[in-house]
Amino acid sequence: MTDFQVPVWGYWVMGAGLAAFLTLVGMYVKKNRGFKRPLFASPYVLWLALFTVIPCLLVAYFSFTDPAGNFTLDNFKNFWDSNYNARKAIDPKELESYLAMGLSLEDLGLARNAINIDTLVFSLWMAFLCTAICLLLGYPAAHIMADREFKLGPTLVILFIVPMWMNFLLRTIAMMSLLEDNGLINNVLEMMGVGRQKLLNNLAAVQLGMVYNFLPFMVFPIYNVLNKMDYKLSEAAMDLGCDKWHTFYKVTLPLSVPGVVSGITMVFMPAVTTFYISRLLGGGKVQLFGDLIEAKFLSTSLNEWNVGSALSLIMMILILASLGLLRKADPEGEGGGIV
Amino acid sequence: MKTLKRIYLGLILLFLYIPIVVLIIQSFNAGESRAKWEGFSLIWYGKLFDDPNIMNALWITVSIAVLAALFSTVLGTLAAIGIHAMRKRPQALMLTLNNIPMTMPDIVTGISLMLLFIFTQVERGYVTMLLAHITFDVPYVILSVMPKLQQMNKNSYEAALDLGATPMYALFHVILPEVMPGVITGAMLAFTLSLDDFTISYFTTSPLVQNLSTLIYSQARKGIKPTMNALSALMFVVLLVLLLLVNKRTDSQEK
Amino acid sequence: MEDKRLITLEDISKAYDGVTVLNHINLYIRQKEFVTLLGPSGCGKTTTLRIIGGFERADSGRVIFDGQDISEIPPYRRRVNTVFQKYALFPHLNVKDNIAFGLKIKKMSAAEIQKKVDYMLDLVNLSGFGKRSVESLSGGQQQRIAIARALVNEPEVLLLDEPLGALDLKLRKEMQLELKSMQQRLGITFLYVTHDQEEALTMSDTIVVMQGGNILQIGTPKSIYDEPSNAFVANFIGESNIFSGTMVRDEMVHFCGADFPCVDSGFGEDKPVDVVIRPEDVLLVGEDVGQVTGVIKSVLFKGVHYEMMIDAGHSIWKVHSTTMQPEGSRVGLSVVPFNIHIMHPMQEENKQPQEEDAQ
Repeated sequence: MTDFQVPVWGYWVMGAGLAAFLTLVGMYVKKNRGFKRPLFASPYVLWLALFTVIPCLLVAYFSFTDPAGNFTLDNFKNFWDSNYNARKAIDPKELESYLAMGLSLEDLGLARNAINIDTLVFSLWMAFLCTAICLLLGYPAAHIMADREFKLGPTLVILFIVPMWMNFLLRTIAMMSLLEDNGLINNVLEMMGVGRQKLLNNLAAVQLGMVYNFLPFMVFPIYNVLNKMDYKLSEAAMDLGCDKWHTFYKVTLPLSVPGVVSGITMVFMPAVTTFYISRLLGGGKVQLFGDLIEAKFLSTSLNEWNVGSALSLIMMILILASLGLLRKADPEGEGGGIV
Repeated sequence: MKTLKRIYLGLILLFLYIPIVVLIIQSFNAGESRAKWEGFSLIWYGKLFDDPNIMNALWITVSIAVLAALFSTVLGTLAAIGIHAMRKRPQALMLTLNNIPMTMPDIVTGISLMLLFIFTQVERGYVTMLLAHITFDVPYVILSVMPKLQQMNKNSYEAALDLGATPMYALFHVILPEVMPGVITGAMLAFTLSLDDFTISYFTTSPLVQNLSTLIYSQARKGIKPTMNALSALMFVVLLVLLLLVNKRTDSQEK
Repeated sequence: MEDKRLITLEDISKAYDGVTVLNHINLYIRQKEFVTLLGPSGCGKTTTLRIIGGFERADSGRVIFDGQDISEIPPYRRRVNTVFQKYALFPHLNVKDNIAFGLKIKKMSAAEIQKKVDYMLDLVNLSGFGKRSVESLSGGQQQRIAIARALVNEPEVLLLDEPLGALDLKLRKEMQLELKSMQQRLGITFLYVTHDQEEALTMSDTIVVMQGGNILQIGTPKSIYDEPSNAFVANFIGESNIFSGTMVRDEMVHFCGADFPCVDSGFGEDKPVDVVIRPEDVLLVGEDVGQVTGVIKSVLFKGVHYEMMIDAGHSIWKVHSTTMQPEGSRVGLSVVPFNIHIMHPMQEENKQPQEEDAQ
């Protein structure tokens, strides 16, 4: 399955890296003349370098190289035109002869194909919709639970926290079995005389699955901020003559912005990157950016892996950018942003 | 107004939990079809335990979760102690690096690790999956231990040295006993996350070595069989219990 | 107190991230001496203590202990023990195990440990507390356990980092006396860090006044109170009136618009100086016989005395007196030459106490 060879310099780099690390530790020990507590972290420093930093660099490396290991920007050109690499790979003379035979690029399957960029835009749109729905559904729920007079609030919040950690795959499957042709909903519909409907394998099912999976990520940060908010603030506002509605949008709403931003990021990011929700609930008919990346890496064609890396890199940059945005809006992490 | 609010909250919670509850109920259905209830039965659970593929995946899942929890707890606890004692700048750098695996989408983490294994020509399978699990578990262990270290009297470690303890003696007799609640929470969290993971396992193992999540995924793509229902239901309950336990621990520790 | 120098600090400097915390400190501590490092927060006193304890390494300079350079010796091999600011008792161990911590490392027999722990508990008046958890103890009791835990190792020097800081006033006063008598009974050298000048005056044989990483003055409590070496020390130790003045000639100083006879000499003629006068040294006399005159602006009753603020035209005087003059009345002020303290004016940089925390 793999034709990759570790280049000779690869071993050298790895050896040099390890040597550099050990030297650093040694220098630290020498400088401090003895064992100091920060050294307890050194095994993990090595681990982070090996399994976090180097893999990230590898994604970058593969993005900028072709299967032979030469530097190239083709993988990013593929982002705009998914046939770019294929067209480049074909012998120009051969191509000319095909064209001379009257075949067009379309016939050869080599015409410009914007599937990658289109899929990204489509994923962003789906994620945006999902975020908007989660915000509309989640804000009121968080607000109700954060009400000081609602004694059950803190208990109910746990019911929102637990799904945040729970296997998304399993939850997607639960949703899938609910929507199936002979699932519960269809049974109820039939009993009501509406008749069975095709509920799976369409956009709505994917969107439903996304909202279902990510809604808790919107509720929790907003609840956190609202809950910590000094209730005396709203009392003060009322005292100053605000009615309930004014108090809400003049005091509560602006103060809950960090939680909302946190929630938006926490829903939007996984929504952009998901691949199995669309696979299971969309039945392969709905392709998101995550599916595209997955497909690239399932492919046996080596070229595709480099393209997949480039797509992953683009996704990584997207995520980092939105995280940067989050830091700006909620610098203290009040929203409990990253759990 | 008050009742309206409660109804709304109830509906949202129903939305979140109905699919799970229905799935669990269906797993006890005697009939193959989900169309109608043919009586309570444990037949699918029985079949579950007869299926060598599933039992194998179960063994892989549990053993990886235990090993990953063990390694990541040791690695993470030591790391937390070290990072806690660092000066501001290296500490900030370490915490940022530590955040990467938590903030990066699982699919990117999975793919980057997969590229690492391919690049170094390590055949993907049990060991690579274990390495990947340790990688994403450690940050959470650090996150559980760190608050306990911050609660500790900042002179405790020095007091131990002052009384003649070597750094190792102080680690085992002063620091560890004091942060133990955080270490246990971290270990439980690591275990749960490892049981829970799908995406990263999916990219770091081969089709020959499957854990329960990847097995369920490959089966579910072809449609859901009743045994899969039973398996999912079982996993749900185990995860739910574990998560509630972890959650209760962190809660009571904060108080 | 003996003459043998037990600890000597030679030219110790320390900086954190480019900020100087200790600036070429030289200091020696004699055997069985009770030395107090006194100064505002951020003056470097705690850092000095931590360098002696071995928790910090000086950037330059040497720590000599009993004739040996111990700069590179880790804390667990130094013959000193520390009582930390917030005690740092181990919460997972009970009282007895806390005290026995150091003894167990030395692999002492259980019977011997028990004997020593009982003796220490007795010494700090907590007999029978051995099985209690440390968290069930009051602040004062925890404090005693921390002292017992350090003393049981029979250190040659006990380092105390603001050990009474967390206690309330009454308990603090009791513990001051108790610590002092314990030090005398056991014959151990104490190095004590505090920002409380009264505490320093009550307990110490020698006080080291520090500020901004420098040692300003070393001396007995009495000499430091009576003869502060500069205005900062004068102001930090007790209350003071500090005026800028000019030395007219030897034994005559000009400030607040008048010439005052004094006992200092050797400052030169027409040289700027700082003049320090303790509020209790200012005499209220008749308007006609005072060296300067002023109007009483405010009167506060302070228990033992009245504190009056007097406006003498160019300057405000703080005066402590057991007799009260009504607000608004004109009075004469007089100071006997012996109570006028002349000092060299402080360098500008020293006048602003640095507020960086040494930690």
